Amino acid sequence: MSVTVTGLTKRFGRTVAVSNLSFTVEPGVVTGFLGPNGSGKSTTMRCMLGLDRADAGGALFDGRPYASIAKPLHEVGALLDAGYVHPGRSGRNHLRWLAASNGLTGKRVDEVLELVGLGSVGGKRVRTYSLGMRQRLGLAGVLLGDPATVILDEPANGLDPEGIRWIRDVLVHVAGQGKTVLVSSHLLSEMALMATSLVVIGKGQLVEQCTVDDFVTKYGDRWVRVRSPRIANLVEPLRSAGAVIGYVDDATVDVFHATAVDVGELAGKLGVVLHELSMQTGSLEDAFLKATASVQEYQSGAM
Amino acid sequence: MIGVLRSEWIKLRTIRMNWVLAILAIAFPLVVTGLTAALIDVDDMNSRDLAGLVTGTSVITGMLLGVIGASSITGEFGFGTIRTTFSATPRRSRVIIAKGVVTVAVAVVVEAAVVVLCFGVGAALLNSRDGDISLSAAGSARAALVGVVVFAAIVALLGYGLGLVIRNTPAAVAVLLLWPLVAEGLIGALLAVTGVDDPFKWLPYNAGINLGNPEANTDGSLGRVIGGLYFFGVAAAVTILGAISTSHRDA
Repeated sequence: MSVTVTGLTKRFGRTVAVSNLSFTVEPGVVTGFLGPNGSGKSTTMRCMLGLDRADAGGALFDGRPYASIAKPLHEVGALLDAGYVHPGRSGRNHLRWLAASNGLTGKRVDEVLELVGLGSVGGKRVRTYSLGMRQRLGLAGVLLGDPATVILDEPANGLDPEGIRWIRDVLVHVAGQGKTVLVSSHLLSEMALMATSLVVIGKGQLVEQCTVDDFVTKYGDRWVRVRSPRIANLVEPLRSAGAVIGYVDDATVDVFHATAVDVGELAGKLGVVLHELSMQTGSLEDAFLKATASVQEYQSGAM
Repeated sequence: MIGVLRSEWIKLRTIRMNWVLAILAIAFPLVVTGLTAALIDVDDMNSRDLAGLVTGTSVITGMLLGVIGASSITGEFGFGTIRTTFSATPRRSRVIIAKGVVTVAVAVVVEAAVVVLCFGVGAALLNSRDGDISLSAAGSARAALVGVVVFAAIVALLGYGLGLVIRNTPAAVAVLLLWPLVAEGLIGALLAVTGVDDPFKWLPYNAGINLGNPEANTDGSLGRVIGGLYFFGVAAAVTILGAISTSHRDA
């Protein structure tokens, strides 16, 4: 199932939360939904599910709006906030009402409880659950109807490193079965490991839709790290060739605006011995900050 | 639709507070009726009086059922589960109707149990003390025994409707309880000052209470059937208003 968002616009009073946003989510890979806080990720997801009424545009799941799917748990599993549970109900009873609404059985409830590792605490009230257990309960609800599309808003929130690894493995596994996975997160390091494709938004507008690799290539800094016992002999010739030099230590410099080939050729010509000559790439985090620098809703002032 | 009804029924019975409220709703009139029947001079209570006692004390049952009705929807807004609910059932009207049906059905069952239990226990206690109590002897008061069940169902619907409109548990419950206790008294007094004849009969709760009143069809009231219909009309209007707003607003 592919998901298409077209021209989505949502206003709250005079604030434009999402503005003419269009992107597609393809099956078979995990698509990361990135954006600074307040950029409209959650609003977009609520509009996609018909919970918030979009002012214009909307989402189609295999060509159909969400509202027209009679038993959506079988087709689209969504977790917007693991806190959307009644604390007085047990985890199992929470899943039972959810299951019943889409004609699913209590047997399936027990299956998904086992699947997410809550089998032994299903009868306990949600009040007693840790944040991590609530995330697992939420994911159990997503998996109830074995849907072809999975939409998760910040699923790694509140999870310990083991839990984050677990949710990542689940999502990669689900995508590997040919399902469509859209997951928002501000944990960029996680997204780099989990997602193959990216939708990046800022201030409710699309910044970029591309693969993670392309994103880093486009927005990430690239430079050449050079180490040599005679580094001083290289610096001036590189500068005159138009490169910018950053000192790392006595023997190491970072060379910007030049390729490894340029530096290697020059070093050979000058007879300078090199101990290291490597391409360096900025992280997804850096790329993300660079791509959204102009559209941060809440920018920290200069310190 | 069956699935949505089942879902709403599971929701209602998996909240412990609802059981506490339901038990109180049954226990309160039962204890009052039982104690009265055990202690009163047998000659001071005939079948008709017992029916009046049962319907009078079980008005509180209706109020507690209204609280269950209100919190069944305000709880979903408060805890955010309404978003999970509407994600699972995008046709919101189905959810709204199913919740209303379950709320009213529970109210009918609980209030009917109260009437049967209270009248049964009261009659047994009085008859064991040489009283002569029977349902057939209650005469026209029997209509009030049925009427109070209808009354409880309407109060439950009103509570649910107020919950849909107000979306906040304490506020919805406060309006539900203060409406008959305070608001109608003040409004009635105000209308009387402005020269309206018999203003109290036009106040919804006052009109509705005729459903459970053995002496309903007396002067100065709308009577059992018209009063009941009028009260139902108000409760239904509030519920429809809430249903429309809940269908269109962001969840």
